[in-house]
Amino acid sequence: MNLLRRLRAIPVSYRVPILVALLMVAISAVISERVLDRLSRTQEAFLDGLAGSYLDGLTAAVLPAVLRGDVWEVFDALDRSQRSYQALSPIEAVVTGADGRVLAATDPTRVPSYSELPQAHASRYGASTVTFDREADIGFAHRDLVYQGQKIGAIHTAFDASHVFAERREILATLLVTNAVLAAIFSLGGFLLVRRMIEPMRVLEDHMRAAARGVAEPIPSRDFPSRDGEVASLFHGYNALVHAERERANLAMQLAEEEKLASLGRLASGMAHEINNPLGGLFNAIDTLKTHGRTPGVRDTSISLIERGLNGIREVVEAALATYRPERSARPLCADDLEDARVLMKPELRRRRQRLDWQVDWPDGVVVPTPGGPVRQAVLNLLLNASAATPEAGAIGLRVERTPDRLTISVADEGPGMPRESVAMLCDEDPGPAIRAGRGLGLWMVRRMVDACGGRAGVEAGPSGGSVVTLVLPMREVARDERSHAA
Amino acid sequence: MSGFPDMLRRRWSGKPDAAGNCGFRSISTDRKAILSPGRTKDLTARYPATSQGLDRRSALALCGSAVVSLALAPGRASAQDGFKFGLTPVFLSNDLELLALLRAYLTEAIGEPVELVSRRTYQEITALLVAGQLHAAWICGYPYVQFKSELDLVATPSWHGKPLYQSYLIAAAGRPTGRWQELKGDIHAFSDPDSNSGFLVTRALLAENGLKPEGFFSRSFYTYGHRNVIRAVASGLAQSGSVDGYVWDVMREMEPALVDQTRIVRRSEWLGFPPVASPRALAGDPRIARLKEALTAMAGHEQGRKVLALLRLDGFVAAEPALFDTIAAKVDAVRRFG
Repeated sequence: MNLLRRLRAIPVSYRVPILVALLMVAISAVISERVLDRLSRTQEAFLDGLAGSYLDGLTAAVLPAVLRGDVWEVFDALDRSQRSYQALSPIEAVVTGADGRVLAATDPTRVPSYSELPQAHASRYGASTVTFDREADIGFAHRDLVYQGQKIGAIHTAFDASHVFAERREILATLLVTNAVLAAIFSLGGFLLVRRMIEPMRVLEDHMRAAARGVAEPIPSRDFPSRDGEVASLFHGYNALVHAERERANLAMQLAEEEKLASLGRLASGMAHEINNPLGGLFNAIDTLKTHGRTPGVRDTSISLIERGLNGIREVVEAALATYRPERSARPLCADDLEDARVLMKPELRRRRQRLDWQVDWPDGVVVPTPGGPVRQAVLNLLLNASAATPEAGAIGLRVERTPDRLTISVADEGPGMPRESVAMLCDEDPGPAIRAGRGLGLWMVRRMVDACGGRAGVEAGPSGGSVVTLVLPMREVARDERSHAA
Repeated sequence: MSGFPDMLRRRWSGKPDAAGNCGFRSISTDRKAILSPGRTKDLTARYPATSQGLDRRSALALCGSAVVSLALAPGRASAQDGFKFGLTPVFLSNDLELLALLRAYLTEAIGEPVELVSRRTYQEITALLVAGQLHAAWICGYPYVQFKSELDLVATPSWHGKPLYQSYLIAAAGRPTGRWQELKGDIHAFSDPDSNSGFLVTRALLAENGLKPEGFFSRSFYTYGHRNVIRAVASGLAQSGSVDGYVWDVMREMEPALVDQTRIVRRSEWLGFPPVASPRALAGDPRIARLKEALTAMAGHEQGRKVLALLRLDGFVAAEPALFDTIAAKVDAVRRFG
């Protein structure tokens, strides 16, 4: 198992040539075995034939002499036959008579005439014509001498079979060398081929790894294979994916930019409106002062009017500053933030002659760890939407409730009900489709704030018609001064 | 049979080739003693009916039938058959060249075709000679003594200046044997039961010491050739052997590798060299006289000297029957002992 795992850890460009080499070794082993087996059979058949004819010749030569028990004639025949059968390389031949004793041997000093046949000679034969002693490279064969149906003796022969085994060894060596060379060639070829085949995959892998790190680059045309095929189509597909992803990222950036501009526009418009409102009263007061400035009552009243008008303008400017200064948007949420929203809503409410039902129980000095800027912006956006949805002279409402672990903000309107896309943008798991529809950038900002705080948003019908948008924001920690205040 | 001499002449006319070899063998049946074992397919020729090669079968059938008819032919050798000269394994040669030279020399000297006849054993040649089927034969002193009354001496070879030779008892070269008595219990190789040096001398030696071969030696066998005795002792097939001293000495020059594997344990006294004899019945045949003249004059002819050089002999001399008295004495000794 461990070995298998280790094998799998080897790169494909090495694994495949190794497998090819192993396959070659296996094939060559089988082929070598078959060749040697075949060779061995052929050699043995050849030797059987040769030994058979050798024994035939010896039998014909010695039979009459054996009948007569003529030691010399038998020896002479054996001695001559040793030279006549060079192809078989006879080592020894022993002829025994009817009584089993030796009549003559080619080497009488080893096996003397008239002696008993050594036991080793009688017991060395197998079933086939020729029996091999592979350690000594010697073949043995024997033949009974039969005359008129009776056994009158036997011939025992031994011959040198070393050339047979030498030939086998030589062929085995040739096979091994040839197969080793072939296996090496095939392994190298397999290695190069596989490397060439998987090179495009490696290019693709490199690019994908780079993309995972955030740098998605299209595959350059020089890395494309020369011919169109599966790999080229894969590369084209990958490049199309990279281009699509880039376009999407560009679009998102553009969208964010547009949202900024839209907010800026609204702010500028709101501020202009807020500043413009008291300006009419201020100019009236200035006219009154020009005309009746000497009259003490009128003068004081006019100056008071001018002062209040300028105060209103200052409040608007301060609220705007508080809302759009980046360094202030990260501080914890406090009552001022909600108050700012109220101030900023005033001009719009007045223009539309609408009433704000303000139900905020938030004493001064209490802060919660939720970032103030985004919440104030979200509340403002919701109030603006509610105002836009509510008919003129209608009423909208803001209700803020605090518990130790969460903050609940509800905005109510008297409109005809929120469009489905807007509800989806606030409440759906994936707000993507609603965003791509290009609707409700203000609501998208609200959704982003809620997601960032880990809260949730809900939309439901109000008790007297219209809609109620409820944001529930968790509060992990309550500020100390709030607790002291509560105490 | 009329074509037979022609066939012989053709086959003996030059250097022997495969066919000539075959023809020679068919006629001189005892190639074993005459010819080199290494050069001839001795066994196949000896049992031609069972073991001849197919390619030679037809030729052998012809030759074989010639041999059979020759051997079985009744009556005496006739002039029509040419001059028949028998050879025994006394004869040294294993050389076809020698036979061709000898035959050519005798043919020229006698003036008619000479046929050289060989057999496996001394006994066969002796029987043919005594029966008058051979005009002359080179036999051993022992058969001569046995058939002295029926045979005439033609000539006796002279070796080292004398018509004498010895018999040797030999053993393996590495065997530290000093006395012949130490050969007791050996497997012993004799040459031929009708050989003087290869049997009779040793038999007589044992008889003179109150022994018999079957008692003294554990086993004994005949090799039917002096060269074979040397081979048997050299190979270890026999531990000792009785051999012609002339053959042993000459072979020591020609085949030292073989002969040096043996050593002489005992030399016999000098005995009459195997003679050339003819049937007494042919005493008046002028060809016998011409043969005697040709043999004794051999050293004077170029052709004859070549033959003698191959035989390592000085020449042939006319010897008296008394030369073989020592052999006759041995025969008597053996007879006396039983």
